[in-house]
Amino acid sequence: MSDKIKNIVNTVMLLLIVVGFFAANLILPDGEISASERRALKQKPEASASGLLEKRFYADVEEYALDQFLLRDAFRGIKAFSAYNLLGLSDSNGIYLSQGHVFKTDFPLSEENIVRAANRFNLVCDTYFEDKSMSVYYSVIPDKNYFANGHLKYDYGRLLQIMDENVNGMAYTDLFGTLTVADYYRTDLHWKQESIALVAQKLLASMGKGGVIPTNYAPHTLEPFRGAYFGQAAIPLKPDILTYLTNGTIDGARAYYHAFSPQDGAVRIEMPVYDTDAFGGVDPYSLFLGGPKMIVELENPQNPGGGELYIFRDSFSSSLAPLMLEGYSKITLIDMRYIRYSLYEMFISFTPGSDILFLLNTQALNYSAMFQ
Amino acid sequence: MVFSSISFLYFFLPVTLVVYYLIPRKWIGGKNAVLLVASLLFYFWGEQLLVIVMLVSAATDYICSLVIEKYRHKKVIPKLMLAVSIITNIALLGYFKYFGFFVENFSSLFGLNLNVVKIALPIGISFYTFQTMSYTIDVYRGNLKAQNNPLTYATFVTMFPQLVAGPIVRYSEVEKELVSRRNTFADFSHGARRFIIGLSKKVLIANIFAELARTIAASGESTVLFAWMAGFAFFFQLYFDFSAYSDMAIGLGKMFGFKFPENFNYPYTARSLADFWRRWHMTLTRWFKDYVYIPLGGNKGSKFKVIRNILIIWLLTGFWHGAAWNFIAWGLYFALFMTAEKYIYGKHLKKIPRVFGHIYTIAVFFFGLVIFNADGLGESFANLAALFGCGGIPFAGLETWYYLRSYAVMFVIAVIGSTPLLKNLYGKASGRAKSSGKVSAPVLIGQAAPAALLQTKRAKALNVIEPLFLAALLIITTAFLVDGSFNPFIYFRF
Repeated sequence: MSDKIKNIVNTVMLLLIVVGFFAANLILPDGEISASERRALKQKPEASASGLLEKRFYADVEEYALDQFLLRDAFRGIKAFSAYNLLGLSDSNGIYLSQGHVFKTDFPLSEENIVRAANRFNLVCDTYFEDKSMSVYYSVIPDKNYFANGHLKYDYGRLLQIMDENVNGMAYTDLFGTLTVADYYRTDLHWKQESIALVAQKLLASMGKGGVIPTNYAPHTLEPFRGAYFGQAAIPLKPDILTYLTNGTIDGARAYYHAFSPQDGAVRIEMPVYDTDAFGGVDPYSLFLGGPKMIVELENPQNPGGGELYIFRDSFSSSLAPLMLEGYSKITLIDMRYIRYSLYEMFISFTPGSDILFLLNTQALNYSAMFQ
Repeated sequence: MVFSSISFLYFFLPVTLVVYYLIPRKWIGGKNAVLLVASLLFYFWGEQLLVIVMLVSAATDYICSLVIEKYRHKKVIPKLMLAVSIITNIALLGYFKYFGFFVENFSSLFGLNLNVVKIALPIGISFYTFQTMSYTIDVYRGNLKAQNNPLTYATFVTMFPQLVAGPIVRYSEVEKELVSRRNTFADFSHGARRFIIGLSKKVLIANIFAELARTIAASGESTVLFAWMAGFAFFFQLYFDFSAYSDMAIGLGKMFGFKFPENFNYPYTARSLADFWRRWHMTLTRWFKDYVYIPLGGNKGSKFKVIRNILIIWLLTGFWHGAAWNFIAWGLYFALFMTAEKYIYGKHLKKIPRVFGHIYTIAVFFFGLVIFNADGLGESFANLAALFGCGGIPFAGLETWYYLRSYAVMFVIAVIGSTPLLKNLYGKASGRAKSSGKVSAPVLIGQAAPAALLQTKRAKALNVIEPLFLAALLIITTAFLVDGSFNPFIYFRF
């Protein structure tokens, strides 16, 4: 190619790219949500005479241009590929691949927040469980980074030590040795329900329900399951398969969640244990016990004398609780991130003699400032 | 608006280019009008009403220069007009950039507890005031004829490619192009190449080092190696950020038919500080030299006078970069080294092996940046102390090793990119003379026919590769922009 032709090609190339994308972005309709990132996309900002004099308007336009850019997900994929393979970076926006899994860096450990979490456990116990003959336990679920090598992760030993030093009168059950990275989804932060029967058994045994061995599970699969990290990784990945388990106990169970509305006040609403419709939503993991909810109750009519278990939990327990149901007549799940600790008895009352389990993953403990 | 943004690349630039090239070639006034409107929009987008400050500076110099031109034969009026121009520009700069600094120091010196009002700094004020002042000074000196046409003059002052971060273009350098210019495929192509390379330097190198510097600053880990990594992250960020902006400005200028002066010439390959400052922000160095240093006497006169001149120039250079004591300390630091180099060891630098000259230059600039980049003098000293493990900080920790591993390739890319290695390899492979765009005849004539043929084949192959490479770079940089929002230009703050 001669210099003259090259100059024409360079010129046409630049114009085609910038004018082409300009025209396409102008013509094509704007998107509402980013499925891969599970968030709403920025919409066109309203222009007004006074707004045009505000810096905020121009920042909004830039944000809108970024969010609505044509082939945005493909560009994010090119970015991730280039960051790993051309520039040699170990992660892209904190996301990295290892052992066939997608991980998200979370670092460093906030000792202050771990102490705060332990103190919150103590506060809940002091407020509600004194003189009620409760048996109180706690356990910690390792986040996926625990299994990664060569990347930044918490000092897990220190985390457990801080918890041990600060919680009062609670028995600890170790789960770190029970789990491997294969027990977690490749594209999500959560564990797989079909891999945690042993976890359920171990926790039940630690609470004196060693004789209860959940069995006879029938697996049901749904796919493709694109976990929370699937879209964040922005590179071509094989989606996971989501498996949920049922048996006679789970099939016979009834699930309810509590909510509050100004018109109706506190309400208790029934829902399915596994909401397969939610699988097609923004967060497919919400299939398990309806996803994020402040208080969920799971009743087991087949074991009326089994006693009650209260789990102070995060989203990991949504898939675990059905597997522990065989040991109890009722399990109540309370998410401390969504309800203030002083308001529990507005919705539920604690039955004396019950088991109490504080079960949170390491990341939830590290961000305990979210506990209300 | 910044060049490395989606709104500039895929909204502002295509619209401006299309409208500009729709104007008939011969109607230069129309093309200038398009550039002027686009430039005012570009500035308004980022600064809104502060565009008025720029227009005040421009109008003052336009009027002063016309009066100087008209009354050139008079004794007092030209001098008066020159004074009005300089005082107006310095007053604007002084108010928006230095007022807070002076009030704060005055207040603390006399224990007055004055309330320091935070004044928004108009982007690029240090650049356009210097540019308009140089215009009036050149007219006063008789080196230029004042421009009568306000549209032509305003196009020069506001031209968006170089408006907010240089290069500091003198009117004489674009005088002819402002009234008559040709737009060719060759110029557009070279401009596009320069722009895309600059954009890539900014997005793929400077921004990534900025992220590293930010990560280290936010980390709770304090180690010696981390301190060095932070220093070199800023070292490379600054060069790739600022030189990238100049590349983009020069490239955009060419796409619109202007030839702006070069602003960087691989400063990190310099062998002495004098050499370094001839390669770094060349248009600012040139401005201070022509409008301050030489009028003060330059290198002429007694040793005392020359040292005084060096000190003044470096104090002004430091203060130009920012209204804070660490910038003044940075200026003094260079005044000291430049004086020592001139009078004590400069001649030895030429005799010792080249590598020592490079190490010396890099080291002085590196430590200077530690002062430059700090938030005040106290932090400057703390950062310098950390480099040498003062306070018993450990050599390295978990995060240090992780980020060193993660950014190792980036450091290699940055080192190579700071040298003319790739440019020279490209020049050699294509048989091009260093800076010309064509295969030079002497190169072909001087070689045996088969070798020349091979050279031509290589040049043709490179001509095929170049557009593909540039398209790939543009797509990758777009991908980084679409993915993230961390994208500041360091030199906008000056």
